[in-house]
Amino acid sequence: MSRRNRYQPPRKRASTFTLNITSMTDMFTLLLVFLLQSYNTAEVQIDLEPGMRLPSSNTSLNPNDGVKVSVSTESLKIDKKELGKIINNQIDGKDLDSHDSSFILPLFAELDKIMKSDKDKKIVKEGRILLQADARLPYSTLRKIMYTASMAGFPQLKMVTTVGN
Amino acid sequence: MGVKKIKLEHNTEIELDLAPLLAVMVKLVPVLLLSSAFVQMMIIETELPQVVQEAIQRQDENKNEKSSITLEVSNKNGLKIIIKEKGINKIDTVPMTAGKFDWVSIHGKLKVVKKAYPEIFKVDLKPEEDVAYEDLVKLMDEARRSRDQQKFPVYDTQSGKNVETEYMFPEIVFANTFEG
Repeated sequence: MSRRNRYQPPRKRASTFTLNITSMTDMFTLLLVFLLQSYNTAEVQIDLEPGMRLPSSNTSLNPNDGVKVSVSTESLKIDKKELGKIINNQIDGKDLDSHDSSFILPLFAELDKIMKSDKDKKIVKEGRILLQADARLPYSTLRKIMYTASMAGFPQLKMVTTVGN
Repeated sequence: MGVKKIKLEHNTEIELDLAPLLAVMVKLVPVLLLSSAFVQMMIIETELPQVVQEAIQRQDENKNEKSSITLEVSNKNGLKIIIKEKGINKIDTVPMTAGKFDWVSIHGKLKVVKKAYPEIFKVDLKPEEDVAYEDLVKLMDEARRSRDQQKFPVYDTQSGKNVETEYMFPEIVFANTFEG
């Protein structure tokens, strides 16, 4: 059997073609409207730690600047710098003072360093902390952070929450 | 000289060049994507109307004379409202319902307390060690202001009259932070 070639009609090859971009413009317009709606106008940029679930609250105050302390179910951080581990929702025992079980040594050292540094003088003067804490953590863990922060000269604690009912 | 007449065709279709518009949008989208907040975050702190702030100040000044309210939170016993008046403690409890905090009853009870003590805006919060952070935030929400827009009287020193506010206990102090 001989293979027959399929008949192909001669094609007109155009040198240029115009792309219809009207639908693409429509899509981009919708995207722009959505993005403009969710545009962040807050004066402080807060990055949520991965895996962290913030509690929701009906408070309507925008965050103002402060030393950003975050405590997730895995670690304790200041501005992305890891200070210690969280084991079973509790501060790791080796980070606590042997004479005072509420005193977190690395947190105090870091806050003390911030206190003595020249940057962010207003925050330091007012002793403001923006606390991002996971909703599942017990009060005992938060109490130790509050206690250590107060001892380091940061008594003003602002709790970061998500918007909810 | 003869004037050349230009023929205008009214039915011609004009194709708009959308390419520059699209170019602008393509540049705008990444910029907006980077600065968008998909999770809106707020903070809990006290920023209150002048009248309420003055009332809190008055409460601070007359610490020894006036009554005080303490909220003890426990995963076992629920919420205990302790009202200290002239050295005598009045205790009211809202027990847990099926192992959970009964937020409706807690809010109702706090409104009753606020009605009885309209001059108090500040409460001491004493949670037990195992109480979850989200329950504490919820309790602060319930205590902060009346959910059903019910108003409570507060004395305005400037006008010399009683005005109304929906704030109940906006200032909450963690009273047991230094208790080991």
